[in-house]
Amino acid sequence: MRMLIWKNIARRRTQSALTIAITMLTVMVFVMVLGVFQTVNQGLALSRERMGADAVLIPKYATADGGDLLFTAIPENIYMPAEVIEQAKALEGIAAMTPQFYCQTLALSCCEPGEEARIIGYDSSSDFILKPYLNDAAKDGITADEMIAGSGFEDKDLVGYNYLVLGKKFMVVSLLEPTGTGMDNTLFMDIGTAQDMCLESEVLREDWQDKDPHDFISVIMIKFADGTDPQAFVKQVEESGIDAKCLLTGDTIASLQSQLDVTMQVMFALWAASLLIAVLSLTGRFNALARERKKEIGLLRALGLKKSQIFFLIIGETCAMAFIGGVLGSAAALLAMEPAIELLENAFKLSSSVWSGSLAAACGTAGTALAVLLGFLAAVMPAVKSASMDPQAAITQGEVN
Amino acid sequence: MEICRLEHIRKDYHMGELVTPLKDVTLTVNNGDFIAVEGPSGIGKSTLLYVMGTLLKSDGGTYLFEGSDVSGFSDSARAKLRAEKIGFLFQDSAMIQALTLRENLLFVQSICKKKDPAQVEELLRQFGIEDRADFLPHQLSGGQRRRAMAARALIHHPALILADEPTNDLDERWSEEIIQVLKDQAKKGTAVVMVTHNSRWAAEAARRCRLEDGVLFETGKNEREK
Repeated sequence: MRMLIWKNIARRRTQSALTIAITMLTVMVFVMVLGVFQTVNQGLALSRERMGADAVLIPKYATADGGDLLFTAIPENIYMPAEVIEQAKALEGIAAMTPQFYCQTLALSCCEPGEEARIIGYDSSSDFILKPYLNDAAKDGITADEMIAGSGFEDKDLVGYNYLVLGKKFMVVSLLEPTGTGMDNTLFMDIGTAQDMCLESEVLREDWQDKDPHDFISVIMIKFADGTDPQAFVKQVEESGIDAKCLLTGDTIASLQSQLDVTMQVMFALWAASLLIAVLSLTGRFNALARERKKEIGLLRALGLKKSQIFFLIIGETCAMAFIGGVLGSAAALLAMEPAIELLENAFKLSSSVWSGSLAAACGTAGTALAVLLGFLAAVMPAVKSASMDPQAAITQGEVN
Repeated sequence: MEICRLEHIRKDYHMGELVTPLKDVTLTVNNGDFIAVEGPSGIGKSTLLYVMGTLLKSDGGTYLFEGSDVSGFSDSARAKLRAEKIGFLFQDSAMIQALTLRENLLFVQSICKKKDPAQVEELLRQFGIEDRADFLPHQLSGGQRRRAMAARALIHHPALILADEPTNDLDERWSEEIIQVLKDQAKKGTAVVMVTHNSRWAAEAARRCRLEDGVLFETGKNEREK
């Protein structure tokens, strides 16, 4: 029986090639859409995590706007009392908050990163701004002699090396991914370390005179709890008597969120459409295959094949062809995915780690499994019909072979 | 020895109206019989062969094969009976298109688990198609296919050969050869029932029957052949 299955596939070259090609193309589209869907989905989920703050508390006298507020403090020497942190804890509607301390913007050179760099101290214990960008080495926080570099320093190959910042040696433990904001040109260090540097550095010490930088912070980045009304929160800050004012970043987030939602809907519609196309085309093809073989099925029954053998013959052939088409389609899709993913990563500023070997393998396996499943589902009815067909009717009514 | 017996067999078709090609057919087939069934086209001769070949269930009467009532057989039992005991020579040149001639014959042997490649080669030679053994059916002429089908009908040593217009597509020489092969099989003890509208070939049979108005009449015996 296996020989007959194989010969039927190998010697009905045109029919088999057509069936395999249809399966291959549908699976290829399916796997590509699935891969893109997964990549974009995961990338966007990461993007949501990386959206930064919903609101920022800054000193009352300061002014600021723009996307920079999403991620980092204002690159100005603005400070407010550290007690504001405790005062802010009393505010309602906050899911997370973390202070940042702006240290200085320096034109670094000689044995240093060699760029104009903003130095910002962040609190790793409460941070939610940097965490989604960090690698494992820096996710749980950094020590006093470690720092994290923005993507603007990428070509400097900083990670793993020591660099001097204002005379102090720091090991760069992580490089952030691009955000298109001032964060890309920032060196992040522990907030306490940044505050220490203001005293230890001859350059910065002048600005502080008799003040202790540890008593100050520059901003507090705030993430709202679900359901928090941004405008009501601003009003709450104003009425609370806190020595800070609240700036909202919500418009930027809402705009991004809306774009992402539309993108996801389009991707899902494409994925569903490709699945429907696959089902319809394979069902049509396998039905036609069973019809074309009606007379031969009658002959096989006359020669003594049982109903169950006819059923498995048809299922075996279709599933074998579907498997071949599935493997080829998946392989072709995965090859084509590389440039497609590159485009996506650039267009959506996705993390390059989103499209991985394991995701590719999962998509390929899903494509092949889908092909076999569709082959089986599409062939099962024609196979049952053919197997239960009256042999005499099959011989006399079937197409002349 | 009796191979099969039809007793008052009736077969109906419901095709908008009721058509009954077999109304009351009674026939006993013994081993070594060579029976020709004659009658005009569309009278039900092929239907009779399909009933005898268990490809079609009768709607009335009794069909006994080697003493067993076939109407009580399951589909699997009927398939096994066909695989082991019955050889078909269909009116159309029906063959498995994906298999070469040699593979077609080997496949039939594999169904009834009687693999004998030497016999395959012998039959290919006997029917003059040994040089076409590795050809696919569509690469053959109608006559060559017909001879291959004859070889296939014999390949598993059936007890009963059912031949539906076996000389279709054949020239004089190969028609005679096929008829001779059927006669030889009958001499070896195989029962042969041949449907034909050609009285010349019918005359070669030991027993001649005529199907008329759904009833089978025995019209003569060829004592020489008997």
